[in-house]
Amino acid sequence: MALVGIVVVSHSAELARGVGELARQMAGPEVRIEIAGGGPGETLGTDDTLVRDAIRRANQGDGVVVLGDLGSAILTIRHVLERNGNGHARLVDAPLVEGTVAAAVVASVGCGLSEVSRAAEEARGASKF
Amino acid sequence: MVQASSEHATADAQVAMPADVDLHARPAAEFVRTAMRFSSEVWVAVGEREANAKSLLSILALGARRGTSLRLRAEGADAAIALETLAAAVSQLRD
Repeated sequence: MALVGIVVVSHSAELARGVGELARQMAGPEVRIEIAGGGPGETLGTDDTLVRDAIRRANQGDGVVVLGDLGSAILTIRHVLERNGNGHARLVDAPLVEGTVAAAVVASVGCGLSEVSRAAEEARGASKF
Repeated sequence: MVQASSEHATADAQVAMPADVDLHARPAAEFVRTAMRFSSEVWVAVGEREANAKSLLSILALGARRGTSLRLRAEGADAAIALETLAAAVSQLRD
């Protein structure tokens, strides 16, 4: 059985790397957590091609949950998903750090796309302490 | 120790966190992954606070420190085995 993959999209390559690293440490090596950080030429921003490639790498056949940091990252993700017109990748409305780690841990036990998406979106209402 | 009642399929258990492990990032994820193997609803309480054992962010928010006593509670068909497994997993958590 394939695991749902996770894609982290951030305006900052460094931020995306850090979130990916944290989630990998918590979810273990079996979940594919891919990042698309920064715009073209290492600027702050987001890049269609990086997002599309990250989704491809994350997909093992059972779907991909995509999280973005701020406004225009979401526009970029939507743009990529619309153009590729597939049902296997789902953009979720969730805080980047909490949503990514929650989704990755749920993905690591083999839950499907809906459950992994829900875990990410439940992070919106989760208290830190 | 796990006390189970088969008619109601509920179980309770108490287990202490290891003396050198806090229930933070990686151990919390391990705890949640173990809980998710079972169909029963599982809760864990520390002091006055109780959290869904299958919700990573809720478990992290408990902030259970090393040596803290966790009270586990489960409801469902596999409640007893869930708590037995979870209690054993807690005692073996590593950083």
